Amino acid sequence: MALLEVSNLRTTFRTEDGPVTAVNGLSFQLERGQTLGIVGESGSGKSVTSLSIMRLLSSNGRIESGSIFFDGEDLLAKTEAQMRKIRGKRIAMIFQDPMTSLNPVLTIGEQIAEAVRLHLGLDHEAARKRTIEVLDKVRIPSAHARLNDYPYQFSGGMRQRVMIAMALSCDPELLIADEPTTALDVTIQAQILELMNEMQQQTGTAIVLITHDLGVVAETCKNVLVMYGGNMVEYGSASQVFAEPRMPYTQGLLASLPRVDTDGRSRLQPIPGQPPNLLRLPKGCAFAPRCAQRLPVCDTPVPLFDFGGGHVCRCQLYAETTPLATVGS
Amino acid sequence: MDANTEKLAAPLVEVRDLKKYFPIRKGLFPRHVGDVKAVDGVSFTINRGETLGLVGESGSGKTTIGRMLLRLVPSTSGEMNFDGRNIVTLSNRDLRGLRREMQIIFQDPYASLNPRMTVGEIVGEPLRIHKLASGKAVNERVQELLLLVGLQKYHINRYPHEFSGGQRQRIGIARALAVEPKFIVCDEPVSALDVSIQAQVINLLQDLQERLGLTYLFIAHDLSVVRHISTRVAVMYVGKIMEISDRDSLYANPLHPYTQALLSAIPIPDPSAKRGRRVILHGDIPSPVSPPTGCRFHTRCPIAMPICTTDEPEFREFGPGHFAACHAVEQNGGQRPDLTSGPILL
Repeated sequence: MALLEVSNLRTTFRTEDGPVTAVNGLSFQLERGQTLGIVGESGSGKSVTSLSIMRLLSSNGRIESGSIFFDGEDLLAKTEAQMRKIRGKRIAMIFQDPMTSLNPVLTIGEQIAEAVRLHLGLDHEAARKRTIEVLDKVRIPSAHARLNDYPYQFSGGMRQRVMIAMALSCDPELLIADEPTTALDVTIQAQILELMNEMQQQTGTAIVLITHDLGVVAETCKNVLVMYGGNMVEYGSASQVFAEPRMPYTQGLLASLPRVDTDGRSRLQPIPGQPPNLLRLPKGCAFAPRCAQRLPVCDTPVPLFDFGGGHVCRCQLYAETTPLATVGS
Repeated sequence: MDANTEKLAAPLVEVRDLKKYFPIRKGLFPRHVGDVKAVDGVSFTINRGETLGLVGESGSGKTTIGRMLLRLVPSTSGEMNFDGRNIVTLSNRDLRGLRREMQIIFQDPYASLNPRMTVGEIVGEPLRIHKLASGKAVNERVQELLLLVGLQKYHINRYPHEFSGGQRQRIGIARALAVEPKFIVCDEPVSALDVSIQAQVINLLQDLQERLGLTYLFIAHDLSVVRHISTRVAVMYVGKIMEISDRDSLYANPLHPYTQALLSAIPIPDPSAKRGRRVILHGDIPSPVSPPTGCRFHTRCPIAMPICTTDEPEFREFGPGHFAACHAVEQNGGQRPDLTSGPILL
């Protein structure tokens, strides 16, 4: 049984201009101990997916349909009290901005110890010990002294280490990291990615890494899920997706990236047009208006096609040559 | 050589020992307790028609340099010449003339356009201020500029909120081009944009450079983007330039350990890519309030030597046009030092 199983998830938000469909029929699975990268541009629905799993949507957001099973349990059927027991303990989350996700008026020791006392039922002294232990693990220098420091006394990279320490303090089975290195400088990003890799090898926590940075995914994830207009358009192992991208959108993304490992002289190939308007998502392929290879049939809903070895893609170009995927379409 | 060709052969921008200290004041009756040394003695030139890429991590001072060149913030000391004129001593009236020749494109296309002005007013304003057009001619010129940056004529009556991020950045570029400048400071112009849109704007900047003969200072933290667009690249660290070189030799043969680490830290979007050993720097970027003594990179440098903590390395030319400030490079006869061996001090 997969650790996380999302099927046909549809999440909408009420806005002044009408309902916005942020996630539109998304399905995927994650096995224990694996790393899944979810990539997409702004508005593709990747963050809303993670907030839906955590049941942390803002008050105007609603999960319209679909199901989210975690370790065989239906998360959408849980009460808020039951969810609170899962959040932070069995599923932990790291956010993009380590400054706004830490409480500025509590010391970091208090913030980590709170989670440990609540979820593991440790007493004051044991919680303090555990806190020092996890801070040591993420290599905060002289952890026992820094327990009493406030978030503002830490640099951006150190704060993200604190966030990771907090997330790992209760040995979660699933860690959702939403753009964990986007706010960091590149040398600090390298430190944090290395740390996350190491932590995963030690603890075996499954990770969902949400990012817009294809480089970060290529270097850290086993599997990649590409999102566009609220749904998955391609899924496969990192080597499949990066070596043989099938979806014109994935191909376009890779062609529009300047790379340091090539000669850097060829002209970039941008994807023309703008990202889709989520107020008026097309019935068919959301990428069709920007696609150079669009067909008349692209205006109708597109199923997933199966390229073997777990590599699937939602694109009519393959309708005649490739079998339909059996699950998750 | 007659006077005119001599002038054309000279660099468009020359900067020497430029500094900017932002004073820190504290207390009830604020007194000066220290300085943020945002830019601490940098020198470089930018040739006509080229793009100088300026890279560095947050707090390295790259944005401050761009703002000083336009005199949007006053410099503390040092020289800045633009097209043979001294920028530092220019009077306010002459400054207006100068700003016709140099413009800036900002990072955040959401914050840099006035939400209460139409696109026509935003792009037309510099034309009116510099008296380059009046009456009907303003709108005609604005429409011309909109077409030039890939927008439509009918966009002229719309407001910024009606545009996406990439389109807003195009409006900012049209505004900068309105006065027909020679030189544009591009301050992280694509950092806020999605990948697919980023490529559109980079291509636009390159096309405009070719068509209009523009010179760019391209400030960015993304080394892949900088490599793509730049002729030469300068690498900054805590207020100083560590290395400067033409693009190809900087990326193929980075001399300074900081440049090496920076390049090795870039994630490559290809799981099968062969890459050298990644150099992971430990510790954090030091505060520009009290930068480390000697070489300011020594606190994080994997091959720091005792001399690095005491003596500041000289900025020297190790290959044609390839400058770096590093004791290890000097001792290694101008060759790239190997980061994985050697004395490790810290």
